[in-house]
Amino acid sequence: MKIGLVGAGLMGRTHAAAWAATPATLAGVVALEDGAAQALAAQAGAVVYPTLAAMLPHVDVVDICTPTYLHAAQVLAAAAAGKHIICEKPLALTMTDTAAMIAACEQAGVWLLVAQVVRFFPEYAAARHMVARGDIGTVAVTRLTRCGFKPARQNPQSWFHNPAQSGGMMLDLMVHDFDYARWLCGEVESVYARHIAPRFPQAAGDYALAILRHTSGAITHVEGGWAYPVPLFRTALEIAGSAGLIEHPAASSAPIGVYLHATEATDVETAVPASPLAEDPYTTEIRHFYDVLTGRAAPRVTAHDGAAAVQIALAAIESARTGRAVRPQEVTA
Amino acid sequence: MKIGILSLAHLHAEAYIDNVRAVPGVELMGLADEDPARAEHFARQSGTPHFASYAHLLAARPDAVLVCSENARHRPLVEQAAAAGVHVLCEKPLATRVEDARAMVAACQQAGVTLMTAFPMRFSTPLLEIKKLLDAGHLGQVYACNSTNQGECPAHLRAWFVDPELAGGGALTDHIVHLADVLRWYLHSEVTEVYATANRILYGAEVTVETGGLVLLTFASGAIASIDCSWSKPPYYPTWGGLKLDLITEKGLVTVDAFKQVLTVYRQQQQRPAWAYWGSDANQAMIDEFVAAIRAQRPPAVTGEDGLRAVEIVAAAYRSVHSGQPEKL
Repeated sequence: MKIGLVGAGLMGRTHAAAWAATPATLAGVVALEDGAAQALAAQAGAVVYPTLAAMLPHVDVVDICTPTYLHAAQVLAAAAAGKHIICEKPLALTMTDTAAMIAACEQAGVWLLVAQVVRFFPEYAAARHMVARGDIGTVAVTRLTRCGFKPARQNPQSWFHNPAQSGGMMLDLMVHDFDYARWLCGEVESVYARHIAPRFPQAAGDYALAILRHTSGAITHVEGGWAYPVPLFRTALEIAGSAGLIEHPAASSAPIGVYLHATEATDVETAVPASPLAEDPYTTEIRHFYDVLTGRAAPRVTAHDGAAAVQIALAAIESARTGRAVRPQEVTA
Repeated sequence: MKIGILSLAHLHAEAYIDNVRAVPGVELMGLADEDPARAEHFARQSGTPHFASYAHLLAARPDAVLVCSENARHRPLVEQAAAAGVHVLCEKPLATRVEDARAMVAACQQAGVTLMTAFPMRFSTPLLEIKKLLDAGHLGQVYACNSTNQGECPAHLRAWFVDPELAGGGALTDHIVHLADVLRWYLHSEVTEVYATANRILYGAEVTVETGGLVLLTFASGAIASIDCSWSKPPYYPTWGGLKLDLITEKGLVTVDAFKQVLTVYRQQQQRPAWAYWGSDANQAMIDEFVAAIRAQRPPAVTGEDGLRAVEIVAAAYRSVHSGQPEKL
């Protein structure tokens, strides 16, 4: 199986390393920045292509690790060429795009696998497994936290900082936990969110709080932020059910903590949480996708799941904008 | 100074018995309770005189009383005490309805007696440490807060805690007020809008009040703050619950955990770890402040108005649960 990688940034490099753990071959690399693609291709023994169109005839699977605003066109091009697709999260910026992408892949009969990597983090996967098995009864209240510093903060021109290209923090980052909340507790009926960026335009960081109400009656609190001093990055989950409680991380901090921007280091690009594991979650994810592509597994996350997570994020953004609680299905474009 | 306790319905009254006795120059003059057996039990246990009725206790001329009745029964006792010219520390929440809280504040104002709301978190040493940093300007503007005051379902402690009439509600009534008050104190700003959602999945078959709740407050300053008030710590958790907040500020992140100063204790008899708190006693500092304010004839650090503001926030939260939309204050 020949893999063609689009994008040689942090995620592209991470996926390339993960593909090395599978029998698949990284055959081609396309990238916006020449230098990055060359280095990555040289390492993997892959060919550098100037465009996706030039690479398509030479690969079986296209792995899209580009900025979000490029996903839709690249997925449509790969589907038209009959190639299976792996696409980084968030799937797209709009529901119009996610619908077109899913329709194109269905019509072409190709996989569209969305890299919602949190589903492959062992602590998140283990908690979901316990909940699905009924270990803690019916889920009532869930709390999810994902906060770090601003990605690519040395580069104000980065696509991360352009909501038209990234969808902003509430889509780019919080989509992880919106997807996880839905995986855990089912469909979301209503979203209420508050976002500090429009309220404090002078704030250096970006931060939002959202409350989800699921059709099951469960409620979920989601905290997301690019607001911490470098290099602090924290994720947390807490799931309270009628017959038990799951907490991560186990409580182990001091009664107060003060983390100031003034003390921060300066040479970090984007935080990828590090944890000492025999296999990193990105590799687990890519190996799973390899198994799906070779007919050995059903996908843990479908294109529909990827689209539903985007829809919750867009509803949260709409709620923060209007000050009203929003039903995700109201977001159609 | 002589202090009496009106009702021991709230379990905090037990702690206050020792707290009052620990204040130099203060005498715990007696207890009264609607339930004569309960009054007698605590009187015997603590070696304190007990009175046949609230009126009898007030007639014995205490300088001040602690009102620890069921939430919905605070108002008549506070009004009786005010009419007798006695200073009052009232258990939280001040009342179950905004009109009751307002009447209590007015009654004490008219009688010229102190009304303090029992918000011990204002006296928690970790919280005070951060209050100092905030007020000194070291953290800059506060943008957002993510806070939790989760606990176990208190039904097994006192049945009235889950009685919709006597308690006024469930988790929203029980656990919004502490953090709502702390946030008003930290931010020097009032709440303008409240969104809340609640459910009754935990203990769904056992109680009729809400047991899970999430609240998102908007402040006049522009700051946003969420409060998780759920009774989501199970009875087999290492402790009763806790109170934590993370503040996102101009200068960085601040985390506070009011009940983190604990020993982890593993006992053969218990078969599960327990957290034994060794931090400073916020209840003691609160009672000390009540006495000090009365002696100095100054308003206490936390007033009846503060209690009223918190009751208004809880009332707005219930309106939001019913409308599904944020409610203005």
